[in-house]
Amino acid sequence: MSDAPYGEPRNTSQRFLPHDPSVTAPYRLTPGLALRVGVLGVVALVVFAALFFRLWSLQVLSGAQYLDAAQNNQLRTIRVEAPRGSVLDRAGRVVVGNVPGTAVKLWVGDMPRKEGRYRMVRQLAAILDVPAQRLAREVDARGLDPLTPITVKTAVHDDQVFYLQEHASDFPGVQIQQTYLRHYPYQSLGAQILGYVGEVSPDELKRNRSGRKDYRGGDKIGKSGVEATFDEYLRGASGAAQIRVDSRGRQQGSVALIRDAEPGTAVRLTLDIGVQRAAERAIREAIVIAKANKQYNVAGGAIVAIDPRDGAVRAMASYPTYKPSVYVGRIDPDKLAPLVNDAAARAANFPGLNRVTQVAYPPGSIWKPVTALAAMQEHLLSPYSSIQCTAKAVYGRDKQVFKNWDPYVNRPMNLPEALATSCDTYFYTVGNRFYEGGLAERSRLQQWARTFGFGAPTGLDIGNEAPSSQTVVPTPAWRKRTFESDWDKAWNPGDSIQLAIGQKDVSVTPLQMARFYAMIANGGKLVRPYLVSGVEQQGATGQRALTLKQFPPAPPHDVGVDPAALQAVREGLWAATHSSNGTSAGVFATFPVSISGKTGTAEKVVNLPGYPVGHLEDQSWWCGYGPSDDAKLVVCAVIENGGHGSAAAAPAALRVFEKYFGQKARSPRVVNVD
Amino acid sequence: MIVDARSRTSSFASSAPGAYDLGSILRRIDWLLLFAVATLVAYGLWAIAGITRFDVPGHPDYYVVRQAVAVAVGVAGMLVAIVVSPSVYQRHWRVLYGGTIGVMLFVIAFVGAVRGSKRWIDLGPFQFQPSEFGKILFVLAIAGFLVERGRRVGEFSTVLAAVGLGLLPMGLVFLQPDLGSALVYGAALAAVLFLAGVRWLHLAAIGGGAIIVVVGVLWFLPVAGIPILKPYQTDRLTGFTNPESDPGGLTYNVTQSRTAVGAGGLSGRGVEGASQTRLDYLPEHATDFVFASLAEQRGFVGTSILLLLYLLVVWRGLRVVTVAGDLYGAIVAGGIVFAFLFQVFVNVGMTMGIAPVTGIPLPFVTVGGSSIVTNLLAIGVLQSIHARGRVERSR
Repeated sequence: MSDAPYGEPRNTSQRFLPHDPSVTAPYRLTPGLALRVGVLGVVALVVFAALFFRLWSLQVLSGAQYLDAAQNNQLRTIRVEAPRGSVLDRAGRVVVGNVPGTAVKLWVGDMPRKEGRYRMVRQLAAILDVPAQRLAREVDARGLDPLTPITVKTAVHDDQVFYLQEHASDFPGVQIQQTYLRHYPYQSLGAQILGYVGEVSPDELKRNRSGRKDYRGGDKIGKSGVEATFDEYLRGASGAAQIRVDSRGRQQGSVALIRDAEPGTAVRLTLDIGVQRAAERAIREAIVIAKANKQYNVAGGAIVAIDPRDGAVRAMASYPTYKPSVYVGRIDPDKLAPLVNDAAARAANFPGLNRVTQVAYPPGSIWKPVTALAAMQEHLLSPYSSIQCTAKAVYGRDKQVFKNWDPYVNRPMNLPEALATSCDTYFYTVGNRFYEGGLAERSRLQQWARTFGFGAPTGLDIGNEAPSSQTVVPTPAWRKRTFESDWDKAWNPGDSIQLAIGQKDVSVTPLQMARFYAMIANGGKLVRPYLVSGVEQQGATGQRALTLKQFPPAPPHDVGVDPAALQAVREGLWAATHSSNGTSAGVFATFPVSISGKTGTAEKVVNLPGYPVGHLEDQSWWCGYGPSDDAKLVVCAVIENGGHGSAAAAPAALRVFEKYFGQKARSPRVVNVD
Repeated sequence: MIVDARSRTSSFASSAPGAYDLGSILRRIDWLLLFAVATLVAYGLWAIAGITRFDVPGHPDYYVVRQAVAVAVGVAGMLVAIVVSPSVYQRHWRVLYGGTIGVMLFVIAFVGAVRGSKRWIDLGPFQFQPSEFGKILFVLAIAGFLVERGRRVGEFSTVLAAVGLGLLPMGLVFLQPDLGSALVYGAALAAVLFLAGVRWLHLAAIGGGAIIVVVGVLWFLPVAGIPILKPYQTDRLTGFTNPESDPGGLTYNVTQSRTAVGAGGLSGRGVEGASQTRLDYLPEHATDFVFASLAEQRGFVGTSILLLLYLLVVWRGLRVVTVAGDLYGAIVAGGIVFAFLFQVFVNVGMTMGIAPVTGIPLPFVTVGGSSIVTNLLAIGVLQSIHARGRVERSR
């Protein structure tokens, strides 16, 4: 019997069923089966106990926590972008504004996983016409921070938006958002000053963490120029809103605004957009003229115009230039390359560079007033006693010959005449006097130059100036510091002599030079150039703007130069534009407003392809002011490789005066003289 | 004496139509079980009504209506199953077995895949899922085989033969692929062997073999380069042991499901407020994860009612095992009840992260005609066994 299942049938179990004599079933519930049923019963009880405990634990003990999780699942806080403040010119014309645009954003957290993710990236990249690999890399990088969306593209075409909206279920995590795009009504005008706006980079986030304003990923930030320096005022404060989304990130219901966005405030510039346009045109025109004068390597240039009374910048033009709109919306890598890529920048002659503040040029003859003022202050020069202006002069133990630009002159000149004709040998004599004065005297000229603002940034409010190390005012100590060989370390008579005419090692930015000429014009006070005059709240249409903050000009500080010395220099600068032998008289003499100014033709070593190393090119300079006796505008122009100062830079400067004073010159006579 | 028992069983079966007319059969069914099932079906329909309200825009009752039709079909099937004597199945277990295998082969050979899986046969507006019906046919057939072997159940060769018979349909279902149903078959096979009186030693051997197979399939063979399961199947089966490993990917479903269950709290968030279900965070909320949806909408109170109803069914089912009129009835009842218990546990456990994720339906609740019809048929078989068992007169 033992091999039969459950053995011999015995009594019916009393446990589940009482004995029923009426049923004479031959089959009996055996104890073995009863045991096994009991085992199943225990298993069932254990199973249900486990389920109940788990349910109790999830629903009752941690219910609140899961409820939070479920609610966070569906609520997403989105940022409501604040419209960025405008940038206005001096007269309130909008130089940088906003236009509404559509942006496609991507929430990495909602994207499909694994293969599906990259398939989606490829499709999205194809639809929006962006590089798929770059997008995939961005997605991978953002994987660590799924709460910040990636801006795939701004300024998306309507067709693309419609397609994405229709196929929303194929693109989980894609969000289409209204955004504001920077708009430049004057296109490339003032590009290097205005700067551009971009999405905040991880580096910038780190840098600004402790700053006054808190930036978050995806925020826009000014990257350069006015946009960067005054970002604090322009950016406004983004608002917040909550949306309910379903599991695929699709919006359910409407947007609930939690906090309104505060629009950014407008920034008003000292710039006059008309003068700016005239200046930029003038450079292009000067380049054409220079080419006509066989200056085939003419490449770029800079013009700066400032108010000599307070340093307000009226124009700051740099050429080549670019359209800041290349940074907006659909970015064309080809157009952006000259601004971000070294080789492309070189090929395009560095359009991103602000030549007014960032590039130091040898000043050449426009430096002569510096020498003259310093020499008079040091009592090395009496302005109205004569020095012979010769065709050449010989200095030093090695009998070095220094030539005048005009080989046919040989007559005594006083300072105004020497400035007017830009006599080099006159200033060689002055430079040699500094050298002869002994060790201390050899750096007196340089000390005055520093007093006049050379060798250091001017303190322009938007910054971006060449560092002191690039704007060199060479001294014996500087030579010693800078050079290796004993020969080069020495300060020779030639150094003093060349410095006197603004050659050899000295280099200045156009802005430094403009500031110096402003000092001459305003009677010896050094101004601090500035571009932004205030911050204002733009009123509704037809209402006056509310000025929130003024940035008053820094009070000009008196450099302590003798008014009589200044007067002699001013006389010379007037004569240069008016007397018959003045170097730019041909350009300015007939202009209705009296202009004083100095030409410069600075030799600079320029390495150009196809030319020998050390090839010299003339940098065409002109700096001056007008009206001569009560100056309201200082203009400094430099045309790179443009030849004679009177040929390229002076006519360019004239255009700026024409625009500023609203007067036309009677067809200027262009002469090839220095 | 099994020989005697068998002869008596056959005589009992042959005399059944005379001894039990329709009226007496209906009078002798387990009314408590019927009550439990009726309540479950009604509760399930009510739950589905809430869970699927927003699934088909404009047709809040779409799924409920279809489910109700399936219930009607299932109730009819249940009545038929009550009337039919289990001894019929016992005699014709080979036909049942052969039919089951045949339909499954048909599914694999001719049916187009839906979501990568061949499970359904189209019947006009309804689909028929053979692996669901297979669950009950399987129990009836294997039990028939074991009872036919009689006393030789104690021999290991019989056990192996039964396991072999069971593995064939399991394998076919697995190939569809429908891993969940294959597991249910396995559970039913274990219960049938257990109640048929297979020796403990043999049970231990079979259990050991099963463990070796599971470990092999999940770990060793994939390592050796022979994947039996698809990667997602392995991931799901093992994922619940380490729920925080990949909250966004593989265990996304379980994480969302647990969140839904927990968010339900004591009394539930209601149909409108149950965002996990309504906004589709919870995948498959009308089928595999229906319990999580119910938990979110109706809370601990709602899920407790459901679990208590299940417990009632299991208790009554186990009681049927003890009152069965013959060994075949006992084994069949045990297999059905255990398969039922297994499905409840794995499905509910899965939504709470304590059981692997497999596509096992929640009996009487999951939207799906085949499932509910099968479950009602199974209850019919249980009732049939009960009605022909040893009845308390006192009732």
